[in-house]
Amino acid sequence: MRTAIVAMALLAATTLGQQPVSVIEQRIDRTQPGSTLAIEAGVYEGNLQIRKPVTLVAQGDVVIDGLGKGTVVDVLAEGVTLKGFTIRASGDSVTGEDAGVRVLAGRAIIEANIILDALFGIDLRESPRSTIRGNTVVGKDLEAERRGDGIRLWWSHDAVIEDNIVRNSRDMVFWYSQNLCIDRNRVSESRYGLHFMYSHDTTLRENDLEGNSVGVYLMYSNSITLVGNRMRNNRGPSGYGIGLKDCDDIAISGNALLANRVGVYIDNSPSSMDSTGIFQGNIFAYNEIGVLATPNTHDNVFTGNAFIENEEPAATHGRGELHRNAFALDGVGNYWSQYAGFDLDGDGIGDVAFEPRSLFGQMLASEPNLRLFVHSPAQRAIEFTARALPELRPRPVLVDPAPLARPPVIEVAFKGQGVVGSIPMALLAMGLLASSALVVVFLARERGLDSRIARGAT
Amino acid sequence: MIIARGVTKRYGRVVAVRNVSFELPAGQSMAFWGSNGAGKTTMIRCLLGVTRFRGIASIGSNSVKRRGRAARALVGYVPQELAFHDDVRLGSAMALFASLRRVDRASAHGSLDRVGLSGHERKRLRDLSGGMKQRLALAIAMLGDPPVIVLDEPTSNLDAAGRGEVVRTLQQLRQSGKTLVFASHRPDEIITLADTVIVLDKGIVDRVTTPRELWPTEKPVQVVRLYLSTASEAEAAQALREAGHAVHINGQGLCVAVPRDRKAEPIGVLERKSILVRNIEVLDDVRLPEGST
Amino acid sequence: MTMLTMTGPRAATHVPPSHRRAVLTFARREFRDAMSSRWFVLYTVAFTLLAVGVSFLSLSGSGSHGFAGFGRTAAGLLNLVMLVVPLMALTAGAATIAGERERGTLLYLLAQPISRTQLLLGKYAGLSLALVCSLCIGFGLSAGVLAWRAGGVGVGSYMVLVGLTAMLAIAMLSVGVLISVVSRRTSVATGLALFVWLVLVFVSDLGLMASSIVFQLRVQEIFALAAVNPLQCYKMGAIVHLNASLDVLGPVGAYASYTLGPAMPWVLSGSIVAWIVMPLLLALVLFNRRRSI
Repeated sequence: MRTAIVAMALLAATTLGQQPVSVIEQRIDRTQPGSTLAIEAGVYEGNLQIRKPVTLVAQGDVVIDGLGKGTVVDVLAEGVTLKGFTIRASGDSVTGEDAGVRVLAGRAIIEANIILDALFGIDLRESPRSTIRGNTVVGKDLEAERRGDGIRLWWSHDAVIEDNIVRNSRDMVFWYSQNLCIDRNRVSESRYGLHFMYSHDTTLRENDLEGNSVGVYLMYSNSITLVGNRMRNNRGPSGYGIGLKDCDDIAISGNALLANRVGVYIDNSPSSMDSTGIFQGNIFAYNEIGVLATPNTHDNVFTGNAFIENEEPAATHGRGELHRNAFALDGVGNYWSQYAGFDLDGDGIGDVAFEPRSLFGQMLASEPNLRLFVHSPAQRAIEFTARALPELRPRPVLVDPAPLARPPVIEVAFKGQGVVGSIPMALLAMGLLASSALVVVFLARERGLDSRIARGAT
Repeated sequence: MIIARGVTKRYGRVVAVRNVSFELPAGQSMAFWGSNGAGKTTMIRCLLGVTRFRGIASIGSNSVKRRGRAARALVGYVPQELAFHDDVRLGSAMALFASLRRVDRASAHGSLDRVGLSGHERKRLRDLSGGMKQRLALAIAMLGDPPVIVLDEPTSNLDAAGRGEVVRTLQQLRQSGKTLVFASHRPDEIITLADTVIVLDKGIVDRVTTPRELWPTEKPVQVVRLYLSTASEAEAAQALREAGHAVHINGQGLCVAVPRDRKAEPIGVLERKSILVRNIEVLDDVRLPEGST
Repeated sequence: MTMLTMTGPRAATHVPPSHRRAVLTFARREFRDAMSSRWFVLYTVAFTLLAVGVSFLSLSGSGSHGFAGFGRTAAGLLNLVMLVVPLMALTAGAATIAGERERGTLLYLLAQPISRTQLLLGKYAGLSLALVCSLCIGFGLSAGVLAWRAGGVGVGSYMVLVGLTAMLAIAMLSVGVLISVVSRRTSVATGLALFVWLVLVFVSDLGLMASSIVFQLRVQEIFALAAVNPLQCYKMGAIVHLNASLDVLGPVGAYASYTLGPAMPWVLSGSIVAWIVMPLLLALVLFNRRRSI
């Protein structure tokens, strides 16, 4: 897909004549505010400035090439629409914050554009009520420290950010922007997939965040709701599916947190005393740690979540336990795949509390280097020793008084992706078995001198 | 065919064999004679090149040290008792050694035929009698028709019948021109099979001689069974051994190997020690039970 | 009988078997012995049952969600492999030469026109193949369960896991063979093998953990020390392949992937290969030098 786009762009560049962007600017100058301009296919070179509220629609392959200098498209008027362009080669000045598209006025619509090789992809500054939809942004191939953000909002309230694809970038970041609608975006191979700074009152739905350092990082942002998002394989230096720093009134429900280093990292959230964080009906699966929290963390409620096959279901950052948080609400706890209890009365709730104790986990809290020995028999030996010797028995990191006996049925928008096809695996199984059987039959059959009958045959 | 010069073998501080030298032309047969611990087995291991030693040993001009594989390719080896995995079938064992000696299946069958083991290919080794095992060892040694056969007390674990079969096969081999080297403590075998005898004593060559010189009578040895009171058996055995007789104690008295013309000698020995002999019996055949010296 | 007379004895060549032939002969025999050995079959069955059990149990919770990932399934399989496979390979290797020596078959085999190197390499090859077969059975059935439940790890990663495990098994076999060469008796060899197993599986890790706490070792020191242990290398290698990142292993893993980068799998498999080659070479040298039978 990506190569196809690049190839098409290259094709366009070589086959069509190059023209300066002033060609477009002159057409804008000649037109009335509010009218629509169709831009013909071709490569337009230079930095385009749009100073009039117009709608620009690309006719075929329209490339705007910044030639590696400055910001490629500057939107300076309110109510501009930019649709279907390929915008490429901004400068790479971090101080100049060179961008593919920079919007400095409200009610812009940036739709279905492809932005390549830009330091910042789409940069909205004090541009409320804008829409960014269906764009693809691929960042410059720079080392992490020198990258810019794929999409950035700065004091831009009431924006709609949906169906965008961002790769190879720093963040999709929201500064001081409230009441946003952020749906179905995909961010991968970046630093923070969705990064909130002092941005409140927003719902994130069905976003897909894969292979980033952190999937969703909320900082100093309150009243955020996450529904149906998928955070997968976010590892890197931090490695959180979701990170929460000093956020109040967070609701996280129906999300899938898969194979991250840490499913959810909670740092002092909620920060105020009268606030609650809700985690309901999420899947935490295959993470190294399901929930990691700073020791002073309090007032989070986990209910109806499925904790499946996490190496540690929950841990604290440093010493301590999670006892100031609740792991059941109204008699409904969570499903824990390591739960070894039973449900005799068949009400779906385990009859003994889930209290994971891990001596090794406790050792890890104070000696992080020991994590090298995770997944080793030595680790199991330590856990076994701790079970056998009550003096060594660590305190449980959490208590779920009403663990679920069966995993809850959780529908997540991205369910089923990334599953290994069972047919190749079956073929592999058959291959392994057949080859060993062949070798055994071929080599292990008796090759001795046999009775006279066999002798007659030779 | 076989040359040894200054063969010396130490196990730690114990000298098992010291400075043994001999030359054996092709087609000749040679025996090592000596009591247990005299160094017979060690000497055979040195000749096979399976243990480290000082000195020179060669077979068919191949040094067993430097060209051990070529030297051993000329040798068929028969151990005291065939030691091989018990649950292996006879045919499989035969096939393994045939492969190691580059022998095809038909010749391997031929070897089995010669020792009369055809038809037993499906038997497991643990189900074979001692005699059959030793015949199998012979069959393996004859694979590829090697010019030299080396045997380490091949009959010492066999009964009379088994021993007879093995000795007969060896006689045939000798007649067919093989070079034979074997360790034995049975005069009858040595007389039947050897041209030369090397008498070993505590690892040193005592003398190199012929069986005729060692045992001058034509058919020198017979076994005499002496019946004594059980209490005096041990003392009697001691006395006879001191007098140079080969003695074996079993449940029914003492068996003593004596030269044919001096059958009464043991009685005289015991008389001098005031041990009463109640009865004597001269056994028909030369039959010295195993383990006797 | 008629067949025999018609064929007649073949013209004897008295040439030792080619290196390849001798090695192959021993390899085949060792393979067959292993496959019919009670212990080996027991280990294979145990490994297979455990592998299938681990895949089945740990998938039962997540199968309905159908997500792939490196979870406790893979961790459980890893743990199982790290416990059972070295035990199997070490004991199998330890028994091989010491067993022949104890039964007296070693002498018999060495009396054939073969070299000690051929014997050792042949046995090593046969046992390696037997181990790999046994692993393929266990991993194959386990893959069957994964396929049936549609989950777990990817096909490529799984194959890498099988390959790494085979390397680990062969490395442990090398160590076992080395133990076998220096041991006179099977019981001593097995005891030594169990001791080495304990050291590699538990003692070295626990010791390294303790010293990293007590001496506050730096990450590079911890990594270097851990990379000496083939089991740790196996584990890190498996995690690199299954997970494509070593941050699972905390600061030490992050340090390793940062400094080594793409060379990481090579360094780890290089360490395992060193554990294959070095003990085997040492075993060959000692087996040829000590000449004990």
